Amino acid sequence: MNPPFTDRHARTEAERCLQCYDPPCSVSCPAHIDIPGFIAMVRTGNLIGAAEVVKSANALANVCGKVCPEEVFCQPVCTRGKQDTPIAIRELHFHATQHEARRGYSTPRPFPGNGHSVAVIGGGPAGLACAFELAKMGHRIDLYERKLPGGVPRNSIPSFRLSEEEVRADLDFLSRYVDFQHEDVDAQRFARIRKSHDVLFVAVGLTVDRPLPIPGTELPGVIPVLSFLESAKAGLRVPSPGNRILIVGGGNVSLDAAATAKRMGCREVVLIYRRGEKEMRVWANELGEARSQGVQMQFLTSPVEIIGRRRVEALRCRRTRLSDKLDSTGRPFPVEIEGSEFTLEADLVIPAIGQVPSGDFLDLFARTPEGYLKVDESFSTSLPGVFAGGDLVGGEGTIVQSVGQGKMAALGIHRYLREGAGA
Amino acid sequence: MNAESLYPVKNLSYEFLGMQLENPFILAASPSTDDAEMVRRAFDAGWAGAILKTTSVEGNPVDLAYPMMSGLSHEGKLLAGMGNIDLISVHHIDTVEQNVRMLKKEFPSKLVGASIMAGKKEDWQQLVERLERAGVDLIECSFSCPQGNIGEDPGKMLAQSVRATQMTARWVKEASRRVPISIKITPHVTDVVEVAQAVERSGCDALTASNSLQALMGVDIRTFVPYPRLDGRSTYSGLTGPAIKPVTLRTIAEIARHVKIPILGTGGASTWSDAVEFMAVGAGVVEFCTVVMHYGFRVIEDLRSGMSHYLEEMGFSSPSEIIGKALPHIVSHEELPRLTVRSQIDELRCIRCEVCYLACRDGGHVAIERSADRLPRVDRDRCVGCGLCELVCPEWCISMEVVS
Repeated sequence: MNPPFTDRHARTEAERCLQCYDPPCSVSCPAHIDIPGFIAMVRTGNLIGAAEVVKSANALANVCGKVCPEEVFCQPVCTRGKQDTPIAIRELHFHATQHEARRGYSTPRPFPGNGHSVAVIGGGPAGLACAFELAKMGHRIDLYERKLPGGVPRNSIPSFRLSEEEVRADLDFLSRYVDFQHEDVDAQRFARIRKSHDVLFVAVGLTVDRPLPIPGTELPGVIPVLSFLESAKAGLRVPSPGNRILIVGGGNVSLDAAATAKRMGCREVVLIYRRGEKEMRVWANELGEARSQGVQMQFLTSPVEIIGRRRVEALRCRRTRLSDKLDSTGRPFPVEIEGSEFTLEADLVIPAIGQVPSGDFLDLFARTPEGYLKVDESFSTSLPGVFAGGDLVGGEGTIVQSVGQGKMAALGIHRYLREGAGA
Repeated sequence: MNAESLYPVKNLSYEFLGMQLENPFILAASPSTDDAEMVRRAFDAGWAGAILKTTSVEGNPVDLAYPMMSGLSHEGKLLAGMGNIDLISVHHIDTVEQNVRMLKKEFPSKLVGASIMAGKKEDWQQLVERLERAGVDLIECSFSCPQGNIGEDPGKMLAQSVRATQMTARWVKEASRRVPISIKITPHVTDVVEVAQAVERSGCDALTASNSLQALMGVDIRTFVPYPRLDGRSTYSGLTGPAIKPVTLRTIAEIARHVKIPILGTGGASTWSDAVEFMAVGAGVVEFCTVVMHYGFRVIEDLRSGMSHYLEEMGFSSPSEIIGKALPHIVSHEELPRLTVRSQIDELRCIRCEVCYLACRDGGHVAIERSADRLPRVDRDRCVGCGLCELVCPEWCISMEVVS
């Protein structure tokens, strides 16, 4: 990562912005930040104004400024990129919000209450964004979260990518507008919350690791990726340096785990993926970073069994080839090759093949075939007056996508309340 | 939702020339103010006022030539300056009167100004009377349009003659009962103070300083036709935009140091900080044109936001507190202190391009030495502290240090 901008470097970069009229960057940003608007302010040295523009569109301004994958949304469509290189939008965003954080936050206008109360269940990006958007419209917000609010950014994104302070910067700001209720919500509590609020927004995310469907996962030394990342973030050192760690899965979370293991001093970190590099759902710079740290990649490899007597000793795998058939994500199915078995020694196996929703009150809802909550275009679930968004609805996404969904759901909720459907 | 959905709009209002302005930002007489619909959009966007494009009496034909615009680009900056061979509005006073009425009715709290230009006394006075009846808030008299040749002599601007300026300004002022009159002058004079004093003596209420500069925008070196090129011919342009800002600042400062009437600053301001500078040297309001023609009316968002945060940072309660703040610091060259200054290079931040070395060797005092590792070093015996190296450093890592 480049060193952070100085004010003058930021200005020079901002001066490259063409100030497009119908800016593709803003359209592509799931939070629809007025990007040329804030960049125009960076170039005149009005960094506070720039931060205000960003924050009015994105409740997780500092978090996204730090970790938003610029190569995915705004920057690839930047018009300037057609001439030479795209504007460093994320870095300019972060420069502005960090400046505001250092100076102390601008005081937003008061939001007079409109008498409605909304409960948000889940303190991740979707819940926080929805809560803040609704608060701006005058709704009273209770946000229920069993952990410290912040969701994935706070709990499982490695601290070398996103520090606790950076997450807290946004939460301190939001805590003025949202009543955080430090509570676990079960089915009974859910029913009570439903009675005491006009509308509910459920955004509890994907909290449980999808189990690896092979024998041996019960052995000590098999640590699901969320537990691994959460303990690492909490400062607990799981493996002692020198261990050989196998990470199963080809997503950004796997790369987070690999980079975390490397930073813990693990001798050998091997990432196992049943498809090829092209099929990985990862951000190029994180993959490059993993490679430069010496993370090994075993592509076209499918785990078959975890072997060990008292604890993990090895992982038996099979080679795969890619079939012509595509799955629902448009990627080719991997097919295991008969007789291609081989064994990799391992002290630790970290399954990272995705997460699934959990929570007993979720049984009340209609689900998609993949197990996510079914919602309509206004993010309304099968339960009247209950809306949902974030990863719980769409599967694992980026932070800013969840922010975007939270904002859209807030509009759906606002319309629902205004039209009196909740009465 | 925009930033105003979250953050309150800060109060930037203050009184100027007896009017309560929403903020110090108004649109200069320009193509952006030639059409009521455009002005409407500007007002909705947050501009505090607009001077409608210069008009004249019905009989005065306006014979435009196209293309009329050309640009001054410099080292990657597309429009460091903008040139135009535009003339006054094709709309005569009858249309402008209507626009004034309509806009004042819809936007009673905005400053709706008009800009006029004429030759004969009757025409000047008729224009003033008709605009006043239409309800205009301010009349700017263009004594200084560098394009065209309406003046005492062909090719000469009215404001280039002290006598003509004073006489014409008197006619105009005589005709107005209520509306403040501002005379828009040019820096193309031997002594701008003399002209400004003539305006003050005439009884007019304010000065607009200044106007575009007479310029030749460039020459096509293959055909030898200067820009803008009109089928093998060209003419001199009026230069506007960032390139003329220092000229305008000096003009405003010179006037403010010598006359008491208020100044409307215009010519080269693009940002809120430019506006602060204009006001610091004596402008009471700042007019914008080129930046709007480039980036649209929406630049008002940053102008207002930037000014608000600046006032907050400085502990000022109103933009009017900025007016004249820089003037006590401007002295004659003889009055300047004689300091011992040396260049200081931040070696940790230096990127070793050696641009400072070259500039000092060939344009300074040969006081920067090269070294094997490309790190430039200042020879403190040779360095006189001129400051050239600081200017050319692309990494901003050179500063001038005062040694006791």
